[in-house]
Amino acid sequence: MQESNQAIADDRSFIRAAELWLPEGETLKPGGGHYGNAGGFADVTARTAFAKGEGLPGKAWEQRRALVLDRFNGSCFIRHEAAETAGLTCAVALPIFADQVLKAILVVFCGGDADHVGAIEVWEERDGLLHLDDGYYGASTDFAQASKDVTFARGQGLPGGVWSARTPILMRDIGASQGFVRSDSAGRTGLKTGLGIPLPSPDGKVRVATFLSAPNTPLASRFEIWDAREERVGSQRRAVRIDGICEREGPLWPKLNPPIDILGVHPWQGPIGQVLGTGLPHVVGNGVALPAGYRSMVAVPIYRGETLAFITAWYL
Amino acid sequence: MQKLVVIGAGMASGRVLEHLFEAEAPYEVTLFNAEPRGNYNRIMLSPVLSGEKSFAEIVTHGDAWYDEHAVTCRFGEKVTAIDRARKVVVGENGAVPYDKLLIATGSAPFIIPLPGHDLPGVVAYRDLEDTNAMIEASAKPGSRAVVIGGGLLGLEAAAGLRLRGMDVTVLHLMGHLMERQLDEAAGYLLKQDLEKRGIDVMLNASTKAIEGDGKVERVVLEDGTVLEADIVCMAVGIRPAGQIGADAGLECGKAIKVDAHMRTSDPDIFAVGECVEFDGNLFGLVAPLYDQARVVAKTLRGEDDVFTMRELSTKLKVTGCDLFSAGDFAQGEGREDIVFRDPARGIYKRLVIEDDRLVGAVLYGDTADGNWFFGLIKDETCIEEMRDTLIYGPAFQGGGAAGQDPLAAVAALPPEAEICGCNGICKNQIVDAIGAGANTLETLRAQTKASASCGTCTGLVEQLLAVTLGDSFETGGAKPVCGCTELTHEDVRRLIKARALRSQTAVWQELGWLTVNGCPSCRPAINFYLLAEWPLDYQDDAQSRFVNERNHANIQKDGTYSVMPRMWGGMTSADELLAIATAAKKYDAAVKVTGGQRIDLLGIEKDDLPAIWADLNAAGMVSGHAYSKGLRTVKTCVGTDWCRFGTQDSTGLGIKLEKKLWGSWTPHKVKMGVSGCPRNCAEATCKDVGVICVDSGYQIGVAGAAGMDLRETKRLVDVATEDEVIEWTTAFVQLYRENAKYLDRPYKWVDKVGLDWVKDVLSDPAERAALNERFEISQSVYRKDPWAERATEPEARKFQPLADLTMEPAE
Repeated sequence: MQESNQAIADDRSFIRAAELWLPEGETLKPGGGHYGNAGGFADVTARTAFAKGEGLPGKAWEQRRALVLDRFNGSCFIRHEAAETAGLTCAVALPIFADQVLKAILVVFCGGDADHVGAIEVWEERDGLLHLDDGYYGASTDFAQASKDVTFARGQGLPGGVWSARTPILMRDIGASQGFVRSDSAGRTGLKTGLGIPLPSPDGKVRVATFLSAPNTPLASRFEIWDAREERVGSQRRAVRIDGICEREGPLWPKLNPPIDILGVHPWQGPIGQVLGTGLPHVVGNGVALPAGYRSMVAVPIYRGETLAFITAWYL
Repeated sequence: MQKLVVIGAGMASGRVLEHLFEAEAPYEVTLFNAEPRGNYNRIMLSPVLSGEKSFAEIVTHGDAWYDEHAVTCRFGEKVTAIDRARKVVVGENGAVPYDKLLIATGSAPFIIPLPGHDLPGVVAYRDLEDTNAMIEASAKPGSRAVVIGGGLLGLEAAAGLRLRGMDVTVLHLMGHLMERQLDEAAGYLLKQDLEKRGIDVMLNASTKAIEGDGKVERVVLEDGTVLEADIVCMAVGIRPAGQIGADAGLECGKAIKVDAHMRTSDPDIFAVGECVEFDGNLFGLVAPLYDQARVVAKTLRGEDDVFTMRELSTKLKVTGCDLFSAGDFAQGEGREDIVFRDPARGIYKRLVIEDDRLVGAVLYGDTADGNWFFGLIKDETCIEEMRDTLIYGPAFQGGGAAGQDPLAAVAALPPEAEICGCNGICKNQIVDAIGAGANTLETLRAQTKASASCGTCTGLVEQLLAVTLGDSFETGGAKPVCGCTELTHEDVRRLIKARALRSQTAVWQELGWLTVNGCPSCRPAINFYLLAEWPLDYQDDAQSRFVNERNHANIQKDGTYSVMPRMWGGMTSADELLAIATAAKKYDAAVKVTGGQRIDLLGIEKDDLPAIWADLNAAGMVSGHAYSKGLRTVKTCVGTDWCRFGTQDSTGLGIKLEKKLWGSWTPHKVKMGVSGCPRNCAEATCKDVGVICVDSGYQIGVAGAAGMDLRETKRLVDVATEDEVIEWTTAFVQLYRENAKYLDRPYKWVDKVGLDWVKDVLSDPAERAALNERFEISQSVYRKDPWAERATEPEARKFQPLADLTMEPAE
């Protein structure tokens, strides 16, 4: 089982690599990551640092917003030769802010195969509606076009739902008929699961990121949403898993009412506990402490103001 | 092996089977289900509707599970009868014998028999078919849904349909959402939360009909509102589905009656879930169903267990809505509320205490302590020792200074704890400012902005001052409205306008009221401020008025009332006097001529009020508002019509003023006078507004008084025409309505703001015109006779005694 999962992670996964950049004074320094088969790219990265405005991470820091590069050549991407050698063709940088403070820049990389299906999108509010700001769709050109043509009001669809609830949302069967707002094209494209997360930013603009996954080239085979708000867990710092789905274990949400079976973790307890403890994203690439059968994980903290409110995680 | 037949594969029977198979069970089980599938977690259909769960995730028992436990499944087959004599269950495809039978037929959605309720596109919200019908309707771009029912299911359906992309309107018959689980304040926050999701919520909305040509196209409300709709979801409640038991001759009430072993009147037949009635109770939430399931399984295995009722808690499955409710939160004698509000974070908590026990809890926005409160309710824990800090939850209990003393709790807050949510001011910033010399609330506000916005953290800031400065800090400053709030009347008025608060519930929540619904001191004031600011949006609340205003008559010391019809400008006629005399005789009234040039009928019984009003209305008379905080009289002299000294038509002007201003609510009563010459026979110079007619025109004076205080009016302005008098007087009254503290007469208000300010404002023609315009908007609602509205049924019935206690009970 683990071997087949490894195969997915290295060859068919939509996201090929993920890395963290952490601010130190006026510089971003590498904060770890997992690079799959892209070992050479990892070596180059380890020797790199970025000033504000420099390279993709530095640009995301400077502009205080998520950035999508669907090709490296001719872009701000500095490590493009190493990336292309490793088969990485696209990158999305997500700055993680706690109110005005940059906690980290998370960069995920995708490959460019013709049959890679999936999407990473950034939505931005303009005139009371969410418009597509940028996105990477791999081979899903129809879906890319459909996304450019659609807007979302508050509460509407995955992006609008995240906007109004100020909460990460995990949607299932988005490609099923009559499902997702863009279900027709999502279904034709083969997209199945959608994770939407709020992207708080110091400029106060409403932005939402969506990660849409297809079974054959999955972003992840397991998604989780953890709630760490004091309003939910009390004054003792911890997080509880409020939703999740796993190809191996099935549903990951509490079954009892009231949810006395809800899973909780404390700071520093396991990979999610690392996020709680540090307040930073956490990337695992060697399977340590992950659920059985999984080799990599990316966990992202989501802040409300200065306070860590939610953690989303995806696993392969 | 005995044969156990189960009718219905819902959540209750599914849990029975799980418990039954936990140990060796001596039963061959046959399971009937009218739905073409086995057991699934029905309460999770809402996330399936919203797309946040897949149906596969909520299936509780799949084919493999039934195979493993050798359950014979007859899914998609309805049971048509139970033959108790032969001990068989008759299904559509044949009969099955039983030794023991379990009826678990659940409930059926209640469909309001409105015209059009059977049109295609009207769905209930009960099973997967309903859910799929709604998902299918949502597929059409731009489609619209109307959800009838603002309870748990209806709101979950609305949120799900909205997430699917539909335009959604919720119609709710009551005054706030989820009224069975939430109080008004929590219902208000929930409505706001849903509206932020783009869901329209219409309260007090009564549906008249569903219309369409062959399918649903629109919903029509009783008030004539028409809502376009592609689908209508009716989620207004459920009814037990126990007919199969009744047909079989089992004892039934509102549902199939069971004992504490869940046994029906036939000892071999059990029933469980929403189709049962136990001790007069019906069931709709899942927790007691699971308790029942455990009892049934044990009883079937020959073990002893009994079902008992227990307290329930509620959770709404709408992502991002945090609410919790448990126990009984109705107000009542001997009950005490503890309320905590954090308007900036949208948090409301209310605990209801009776006899030192927590009996109810409503939490919105912060539900972290919900289970702890629920435990206190269930266990009937004595909370006497932790009453002062109970609302802060378990973290503040069990020892330590913070658990004992609110000041210590503030002292224990970390430096980065946010004190002023509006301005993001933390404890350390406030303490630093105090250290730098800001030793009063006002200087702290000026330097840090803490408590300078909504003001609800004022108490906390003062506690910080007390903690930091010790004995050298003295609270002071402006007096709050009452003990329910730290805010002054002026603050409240300003904030109602600035933050567009249009209901009492909004004021309580957004301004952080410390009580659930205010108190007799603040409610009348808030009621006035709201109706003065939002005349078209806010509905006057009779329960927030003093008894005289509520009954539109003045109560006397013997419990009878006085009735005083209006005499415009002090004028009357023979016909009016005849009608008054007739009424006085008919109702045995004492008759008094008042100082305001009117006639008072004293000694009227409360239940006679509608009748005497009807009689006086019939003679063309209306209420004189002798009981109201509003315009009382416009006293006049006879003026140029009769008096040789008269300079102007003072009577005519008085009548015009009275007809313009009557009915409007003001902060306190308003009396006026118009004298036809400086001899001042109408005593206009001691009125709230007094007009002295002179040869060159009119002298308008304001802020006089002739009561506890005696004041001569101050000259506001001299004008040349009657129209100008009316314009200036109306503008003055409206300015008073918009700015004065409740229960301040005009002279007190003018003392506070200064006559110069009043003159400055009113001397601007544009401002005067705007004040007149706003007054007229208000009068479009209030310039009407309250007697006429109450002289006929059904309003008149409210003046009748509930029971005649003078009568002896029948033998």
